[in-house]
Amino acid sequence: MKRYLSNPVAIVLFIAPALTLFAVFVLSSIVQVFYFSFFDWNGVGNAVFTGLDNYAALWNASAFAVANGNGLKFALLITAYQMALASVFAIAVSNPRVPLRRFFRSAYFIPVVLSVTVVCQLWASILDADNGLLNHLLAALGSDARQNWLGKRYAAIYAVAFVNAWQWMGYQFALLVAGIKSISTELYEAAEIDGATSVKTHWYVTLPLLKETYYFCLLISVTGGIKAFTEIQIMTGGGPGTATYTLTYIMYRAAFVSHKYGYGLAAASVLVLECVAVILLLGFLFRDRERKPALERGALR
Amino acid sequence: MKKRRRGAGAVFFSALLWLYALISLYPLLWMFFYSLKSNEEIFVTNPFGLPLKWQWGNYVNAWLKYDVPLYFQNSLLVGAAAVLLTVACALLFTYAVSRMRWRLRKAARTLMALGMFIPVQAIMIPVVQTVNRLGLLGTYGSLILPYAAINLSFATMVFFGFFQGIPKEMEEAACIDGASIYRAFWHVIVPLVSPATITVVIYVFLACWNEFILANVLVGGMAKLKTLPLGVLFFQGQFTTDWGSMGATMMIASLPAILVYVIFSEQVERAMTVGAAVKG
Repeated sequence: MKRYLSNPVAIVLFIAPALTLFAVFVLSSIVQVFYFSFFDWNGVGNAVFTGLDNYAALWNASAFAVANGNGLKFALLITAYQMALASVFAIAVSNPRVPLRRFFRSAYFIPVVLSVTVVCQLWASILDADNGLLNHLLAALGSDARQNWLGKRYAAIYAVAFVNAWQWMGYQFALLVAGIKSISTELYEAAEIDGATSVKTHWYVTLPLLKETYYFCLLISVTGGIKAFTEIQIMTGGGPGTATYTLTYIMYRAAFVSHKYGYGLAAASVLVLECVAVILLLGFLFRDRERKPALERGALR
Repeated sequence: MKKRRRGAGAVFFSALLWLYALISLYPLLWMFFYSLKSNEEIFVTNPFGLPLKWQWGNYVNAWLKYDVPLYFQNSLLVGAAAVLLTVACALLFTYAVSRMRWRLRKAARTLMALGMFIPVQAIMIPVVQTVNRLGLLGTYGSLILPYAAINLSFATMVFFGFFQGIPKEMEEAACIDGASIYRAFWHVIVPLVSPATITVVIYVFLACWNEFILANVLVGGMAKLKTLPLGVLFFQGQFTTDWGSMGATMMIASLPAILVYVIFSEQVERAMTVGAAVKG
């Protein structure tokens, strides 16, 4: 039996396809990101080692501060929006006396299964300055608050972040619903016998027991803010000016528009390091949470 | 007293739930409506409600003029191939690291798990370089291989828990019956983990069907290889005046995912959120 399960030929055959694919496209890529971030390289010709020059240039670029600020704003908005709404709705929907619970669950989850490009294009047309739904709606309500939502220097990043929050709220909602389902009903019965109000019950029973789920929710939304790209690429193109630049967008433009690969990879390295910092920080803050570490559960997806 | 307060609370929460259902669904309904309207209705006469005159021609336009069938076919092909490749590689790999006996199996598993921490945004530049160096640019492989690679970590995580739950006697019985390890894997183990396989298939297929970041830089400039998420953006550059056809294209791109979700709601929700529930 031992020989059976340690057959070396079988082991190699079993692990080779996955390891090759993973090494060629993922591992070698992340190594290249850090390695070539120390080179001046246009992506085709010879790479010239320049030490920390790319990082210095990045640090001095005005867009870098804008991008980090935007990552933070994006993260704050989507975290606040998704966690607050998802918590309220998950608790409401978990109450068996609420009618049409299945309908609400589906209604909130549907945007999650849509393509991000459809969502962005849809919201671009809703927020459109001339023909958009939102401005039409404001006009119909007799308000003169109509705006060029995506063209405002200081507000555009929030508009873009809102679209992300809108699409993914249902995801955190589904996570929390599943988390609440796993809490023993005996705890609620006990709380009821003790005469606790439902607000108190949820505050002292539901929320503390969802620590693990909240850890994961925070992880996706905070790193989601730092990684923000698609919404910006599709809806604003980084504009107006550089007002909606993010780290990923700096990287994308450096590599695919101005062919400064080394510089782009320096931005990518900073992106990875910031994500790792967030993971470590959250891991520390939630260090007494139950069950398995983040490694096991699809962080950063 | 207590009872009445609960009643008022329930009404308040119901109202909130309905309000957000509207915020969540009305944009999609609005998209459906305008996919069947003329520009005049969308912009001036009837921006909010059902179409007054149903313009099915928008769908004909989307289908015939804007290459939607091609994008559809590309998405389907790339998605199906990536799913097959991911599932095959992940099943084999997870079997070796979870049930076979060898020295570096833990290290191999940890290495694969690292993929969970690598954002696809960060590696898009080297991925394009690698695809180019392998001579894959301009082929379906340029999407299929990277898609499979970036989904492997997730898939092996899901399978790992399932493989661990299978009793050792399964292989012992197969061994005594004289079946090779390959037969044992294929005829005994693979059928046992089919619930996990379904989860992985749904997750990976939806992820590929909706993928934008890599597709944008790998096939964004190639009309023949574009997938639906890129096809939808076909209108973006040219100051679109044809909103109706744009809406129709977006509806066609979204319907398969929505249908799959409506039919298999519970499974899809589980597959999409399993990252948080994988029991290691």
